[in-house]
Amino acid sequence: MTSPPPHTQVRSFAAPSDEGRGSSEEGRFRALVASVKDYAIFMLDPTGRIETWNAGAEQTKGYTAHEIIGQHMSRFYTPEDLARGLPALLLAAAARDGRVESEGWRLRKDGTPFWADVVITALRDDSGRLVGFAKVTRDLTERLHAQQEQIRLAHAEEAIRLRDEFLSIAAHELRTPLSAVQLQLQSLLERPEGLDPRARLKLERACRSGERLVRLVDTLLDVSRITTGSLTLTRSTFELVEAVEEVVERFGDHAAQAGSIVTVRSEGPTSGNWDRMRIEQVVTNLLGNSLKYAAGTPVEISVQGDADNVVFTVADGGSGIPPSERDRIFGRFERAAPMRHFGGLGLGLYVARQIVEVHGGGISIDPERAVGVQFAIRLPRQPPSGNTA
Amino acid sequence: MSHRVLVVEDDADIRLALEEILEDHGFHAVGVRHGGEALDYLSRTDDLPCVILLDLMMPVMDGATFRSAQRRDPRIASIPVVLLSAYRDLDRRAVDLDAVSVLNKPPDVRVLVQVLQAHC
Repeated sequence: MTSPPPHTQVRSFAAPSDEGRGSSEEGRFRALVASVKDYAIFMLDPTGRIETWNAGAEQTKGYTAHEIIGQHMSRFYTPEDLARGLPALLLAAAARDGRVESEGWRLRKDGTPFWADVVITALRDDSGRLVGFAKVTRDLTERLHAQQEQIRLAHAEEAIRLRDEFLSIAAHELRTPLSAVQLQLQSLLERPEGLDPRARLKLERACRSGERLVRLVDTLLDVSRITTGSLTLTRSTFELVEAVEEVVERFGDHAAQAGSIVTVRSEGPTSGNWDRMRIEQVVTNLLGNSLKYAAGTPVEISVQGDADNVVFTVADGGSGIPPSERDRIFGRFERAAPMRHFGGLGLGLYVARQIVEVHGGGISIDPERAVGVQFAIRLPRQPPSGNTA
Repeated sequence: MSHRVLVVEDDADIRLALEEILEDHGFHAVGVRHGGEALDYLSRTDDLPCVILLDLMMPVMDGATFRSAQRRDPRIASIPVVLLSAYRDLDRRAVDLDAVSVLNKPPDVRVLVQVLQAHC
């Protein structure tokens, strides 16, 4: 800081009215500066009053040369910067050090702020006397916004990653003690010496509740994966009707409790290349809904294959879903029935649709059905071309 | 072939429940808390298990590290491994670790017994 300040030597930096009196080289240079549009380039007198104005300055700040020449540069500064004397500080720093650069908010003529990169260079004559300043301003608002957007996006991505990591760990941690509970209950149920019938009933109830808890934990994890597009499939080739029958068998007690008889019929070969666990999840969600919302009515499942697709339908004899609700119920946290009557997260159909769509298929409600509701799920036998998910 | 099953599981409640269930179904279950203890047990016993029921996330030595060490040791490399984990999407891990089967926690006891019986 003790070394002599670097001076910018200028031979002549004339105001516009002087144009034509300098050499032709200077004239060309002035014309060049005047025509630059991406940079506001102008000159100040030693006190900071504006002496020249180019096209870029007019474009950036909104003032015409006529309006601004003779005004003090402080009018570009925000009230906060004026309160701390920033214009004078910058001019003093430029005079002391030869050049100063700063970034910050400046104001256009209409009062709107823009993010400016400003370089102020001290201009001195041959004797070293300060004759003014050259000020170059770039409008970096768009770049700032792009940077801010990038930062926001990075924060959002990080938040999603942390949430998924948390959910994955939480699901694991919740499943572990649940597993211990389930295993203890199952070991009691499986004891070779048998159980008192009342104790068996209570244990079976406790087991069912445990299974429900595990499914709820898994559903929360699935929703997180679906929303981030990280639901991946582990495909294998299997008969859809076998998977359906397996789920129906698992629902045996549940169906009996609901007073519903579940029938499965199939036609033609029903094999395809799908993620078995996920497809069983779709069947589970649909059958679970039928037993919940249409308890006491028969549930009919049919599985039929054609050349390219296998379609399975799940139909019940309940009160059905009004046409106005049929799109809504596939959304997240939506339900066809009022929450005060039925619990649950409202995620079953949402998860089912997402799983079916990741397989390249579709899920729909039969609009013609007069009684209850019938869901139809179409699954392409093979992954869509180019999709090996 | 023995009906010995090595249960590698850090959660004591789960491990003990599994041991009881397997004993009830005619297996001889040996429980250890992590992969390190499993390797130690396998190095000391002459009566090798017919199958290893392996958790993945465990302190000291996790399931993947254990499996890798097991596969390098010709004496115990051929003992089939069934993964048992609270993580979902285990199928990929089964391929990576060359497991004969995968079970999510909590497993259905009937399925668990069937899977183990297939190897003992």
